[in-house]
Amino acid sequence: MRLLIVEDEPALLETLAQQFRTAGFAVDLAADGVDGEFSGKEYPIDVAVVDLGLPGKSGLDAIRAWRKADKSFPVLILTARDSWQEKVAGLDAGADDYVTKPFRFEEVLARVQALLRRSGGWSQPLLKGGGVELDTRSQEVRVAGIAIELTAFEYRLLEYLMLRAGQVVSKAELTEKLYEQDFERDSNTIEVFVGRLRRKLDPDGERQPIETLRGRGYRIARD
Amino acid sequence: MARSTPSLKTRLLVTLALLLLAASGVAAWALDSMYRDLGLRSRQDVLDAQVIALISSADIDVEGRLVPENLAEPRLAAPGSGLYAEIVSSRGSWRSPSALGSGLNLAAAPVTGERNFEYAKLADGTRVMGLSLGIRWVLEDGSSRDFIIRAAESLEPWYHEVARVRAWLLSGSIVLGLLLLAGLAVAMRIALKPLHQLETEIADIEAGRRDLLGSGWPRELAGVTGNLNALLNGERKRLERYRTTLGNLAHSLKTPLAALRGLIESGQTDRQSQARQLDRMQEIVQHQLKRAVFGGTGATMTDLPVQEALEQLRGALAKVYADKSLRISIAVAPGTAYPVDAADFLELTGNLMDNACKYSKTEVAVRAMPWTSADWRRPGLVLDIEDDGRGIPPSERTRVLERGVRADESVAGQGIGLSVARDIAAAYSGTLEIGESRLGGARVSVRLPGR
Repeated sequence: MRLLIVEDEPALLETLAQQFRTAGFAVDLAADGVDGEFSGKEYPIDVAVVDLGLPGKSGLDAIRAWRKADKSFPVLILTARDSWQEKVAGLDAGADDYVTKPFRFEEVLARVQALLRRSGGWSQPLLKGGGVELDTRSQEVRVAGIAIELTAFEYRLLEYLMLRAGQVVSKAELTEKLYEQDFERDSNTIEVFVGRLRRKLDPDGERQPIETLRGRGYRIARD
Repeated sequence: MARSTPSLKTRLLVTLALLLLAASGVAAWALDSMYRDLGLRSRQDVLDAQVIALISSADIDVEGRLVPENLAEPRLAAPGSGLYAEIVSSRGSWRSPSALGSGLNLAAAPVTGERNFEYAKLADGTRVMGLSLGIRWVLEDGSSRDFIIRAAESLEPWYHEVARVRAWLLSGSIVLGLLLLAGLAVAMRIALKPLHQLETEIADIEAGRRDLLGSGWPRELAGVTGNLNALLNGERKRLERYRTTLGNLAHSLKTPLAALRGLIESGQTDRQSQARQLDRMQEIVQHQLKRAVFGGTGATMTDLPVQEALEQLRGALAKVYADKSLRISIAVAPGTAYPVDAADFLELTGNLMDNACKYSKTEVAVRAMPWTSADWRRPGLVLDIEDDGRGIPPSERTRVLERGVRADESVAGQGIGLSVARDIAAAYSGTLEIGESRLGGARVSVRLPGR
């Protein structure tokens, strides 16, 4: 999942970036509204976390600009002013949820995951597809009731495919979404990771949870 | 430096003085010209009478001149008396003894039956008014002869009189004007006395000698003083709230601070204990500050369209609670508006609707209607927010409203919304009650009085 953080406080920006990376996100950073607006328009962002009180262009303006440019990725706003007027203004501008400062990272993460889940069309935190169950809250993966251990990248890959269960996801899309903008890309890596994931989810080759559609990409059937 | 605006008193006095000046000028001019008109006419009447008296007493003498046989008017006989007469004809003329050496020289020579008034000057500069009348005298032999009969009178005494009257008019109107201005100044002092009183009372409030403005203001000031008192009350309440909040904040932050310091000084690096104290502090800051920020002063309030604000909140909450697929219904009597600070209203209804959404299963209902009373110029507002959740049992209702009043007693996590809403309602002299909804959950009723 590719996440954009727009936050002017360097310490908070760094901490959030690190925490989100640990949680398995590819993270893009912007320290002001102008930068944030650009990144949101130009990169294939899945979800954005935006501080409302930014220098120069405000967070609200950046969100409005994205929505005007038909960018529909979900947006979570961070606001220090805990008033309904502020919240309503943010949600009116096109944001989807809010977290007030100060916050615990778990809270922000849960909101971001919920937004991603919702934008993928899931109303529950438990995703089911191809015989696999994935809990976005606990990041647990089960097949036929048995917990599966995955590395961070494998989990990210599976979560992305699960959130889009029923849809074909191309290798190019996966590369874009799972790596940050300055990462060296190689679509062979994706193939390697999909292969590993398949072996872990389906060691006997009975279920085939991840279909390969030649020349188009991968798909997990929605249960 | 900006020029200071002249005082009300100065403005009124200067305006009225100018008006008075203009009015008395016009009055004096009218009186003066009327007096002159009348005077002139009476001068002319005198000359007319003299001429007629001369004709009636005149006869033709041996030289063929027309001569008055006796002079009824003694002034005609006395030289320099100011009244002069002459009768001229082609055969010679007669002059009254008074005109001897006077240099009387009237130019008009009207034809028979015509009369002519004119102004002239005597040799010594005396200004006179003259009347010349042309007559035809019929002799016994049937022939006739033309004469011009003239009479003139000195205008000096009359001019003198006019000047005297003018001086009297001028001084009279000045005195009258001054008296009127003095009277106006006194009247203004009486009329502006409440303003002085207001100034004094405001100065007293500034100096801390009194809390509010007194009562019994004239109708024109009652609006201002009423608003001022409302503002003062609002500010005082707000100040008290800030004080309480700051006091509570300082007081309640000390405990976790002390604990944190203790942990650090004892060299303990138990992250969880430290994080617990930080959480505690964060919670305190949130609870206490949230209670203190709302406005409710009455100074910034315009009529807020209620429907619009509620729709905005519905849109926002629908996003926040997207997972629950809630049905939020809003029923507002058409045109309902309430004079309230927009941020306060959003905070009040936002907290209540947020709670309703949080605890409901599928349904939230919001109703709003005006609350009218004969005592209010602007109506109040009644709000009902209901949900189909599990409700709040009667035994818990008081406690829920008191939550967060003191940070020490606050319950971790949530629940400050209701007490904040109650505080905002109270800032508008309103009430908040918790009851049961026909939907099965809680019903929160807010009643905000009008003004």
